[in-house]
Amino acid sequence: MIINGVTIEDTFAEAFTMRVARIVITGKTARWAREAALKLTGFATSVIGCKCEAGIERELTASETPDGRPGVSVLFLTMDKESLPQQLIVRLGQTVLTCPTTACFDGLPAAPDRLAVGKALRVFGDGFQGSKVIGGRRYWRVPVMEGEFLIEETFGMQKGVGGGNFLILAEHPDAALAAAEAAVLAMTNLPGVILPFPGGVVRSGSKVGSKRYKNMLATTNEAFSPTLRAIAPSALPEGVNSVLEIVLDGTDAPSIEAAMRVGIRAACLGGVRSISAGNYGGKLGPHHFPLRKIMSGVTA
Amino acid sequence: MSDVVVLSLRTAPVGALELAGVTPDRLAQLPQREIAALPVRHAGRAAALGDFFTVKGERAARVRLEGDLRLAEGMGAGMMGGELVVEGHAGRDVGVAMTGGAIEVRGDVGDNTGGARPGAARGMVGGEIVIRGNAGEDAGAGMRRGLVVVTGNAGRGTGRGMIAGTAVVFGQTGPDAGRWTKRGSIVACGPVARPATFRYACTYRPPHVRLLLLYLRERRGLDVADRWITGRYDRYSGDLAELGKGEMLQWAGE
Repeated sequence: MIINGVTIEDTFAEAFTMRVARIVITGKTARWAREAALKLTGFATSVIGCKCEAGIERELTASETPDGRPGVSVLFLTMDKESLPQQLIVRLGQTVLTCPTTACFDGLPAAPDRLAVGKALRVFGDGFQGSKVIGGRRYWRVPVMEGEFLIEETFGMQKGVGGGNFLILAEHPDAALAAAEAAVLAMTNLPGVILPFPGGVVRSGSKVGSKRYKNMLATTNEAFSPTLRAIAPSALPEGVNSVLEIVLDGTDAPSIEAAMRVGIRAACLGGVRSISAGNYGGKLGPHHFPLRKIMSGVTA
Repeated sequence: MSDVVVLSLRTAPVGALELAGVTPDRLAQLPQREIAALPVRHAGRAAALGDFFTVKGERAARVRLEGDLRLAEGMGAGMMGGELVVEGHAGRDVGVAMTGGAIEVRGDVGDNTGGARPGAARGMVGGEIVIRGNAGEDAGAGMRRGLVVVTGNAGRGTGRGMIAGTAVVFGQTGPDAGRWTKRGSIVACGPVARPATFRYACTYRPPHVRLLLLYLRERRGLDVADRWITGRYDRYSGDLAELGKGEMLQWAGE
């Protein structure tokens, strides 16, 4: 399959089941909602080192938020049920509770699994906190120096998908970066998907474990590293001198697939030789995203 | 089974008509004939609901009452769920001791809306009451949880002895509002005669009031002005003669 002169390789991305929460942060202005969201999702690129993965799903208009103020929707993922509330309590407490004018709402109200995140954070009020039930949902009012911080008592948790990906194999770094930027731009604000890495792009795609260091969970993917082509088994076609990866997490596989379709198409620019994907032979992750099926419009 | 049970007043009562057992959660279980046979009291004497109302529909948790019901007392008293709409004025004791569901009165109501039964310490413990009109005395008195909204004026003793919950008055709030309150909120968008045992704390924009008023506008269809949603409120803590963890939020401007 060739799109705009770029070969779509006959391979698939392999992704994992994770647990996901959607956090809606509102603020007096979009700027303050964004400030809180950026702090909340900082250092949350990969569960390998950050214990969670998070990113801004999209910005919300005032008409889309519970309190009628501009907001930001954040997706937050962990590998297991237990660590999701732990990470949320620590991070929301340090980043959203502290941020001027913000309030924090559950973005998955229909999810039956509930995480008592606001209920845990209420104790910052040291006994002066109070709650209100509005429309059947309980909110905690935590007194702070600015006034009051409002946070929903529980947040929904559901199964999500982490580790959707595709690789951009280009003739030179500038072409790879331009293609990656185009792909990220095309996927920005798509519902149900985040790109947890810096600017949505990864330059250091990894393999599981290490050949040399026992304590390393992940190390460089030499098969896709151009500088190692001469001394290690390489997966790079001739003429490829730089590779960038786009990693996608989301609320469900169809959302990831839809975003990949848009992103891959946008990445097929001049200087890109092919689009590939990372997998583990199909043995580790239950979610497979075959590139050619996705790009031909066939649901994977 | 129908979508709604409609009770249309056919015979006007000449004395107090007690409707305490006529609740949506109960009517949701009953066929039309049994609804008409539900016991009520009229002027202190036993009667049947069907003696006064024409019943349409059955086995529905949405109930609509039609007619001049100023002499009807205890509508929605103790209700646990469902929806009760009164098309017109209602008498006293609307929603007393209710635990869930929603009541909407499209007219004025008498005293003790959402309050306690005689001798009981607690008023309503859940659910929502929206009065599209004026309320008599003691609206939300002794309430433990829940929401009472009055779009017009509320009489003396609104939220008196509240244990928790929220009362919102868009018009004028009468004297002794919040007296003996332990916790809970009284949101006064209009003038309020505040007891001296409430102490000023600050002027701010309470985020939960914004959320609540937006909910009332968007989900309950009330005509809530932007100035109340985005406005500043004076916060008074009280009743300091009691626990003092309650609050009165008085609208202070845009």
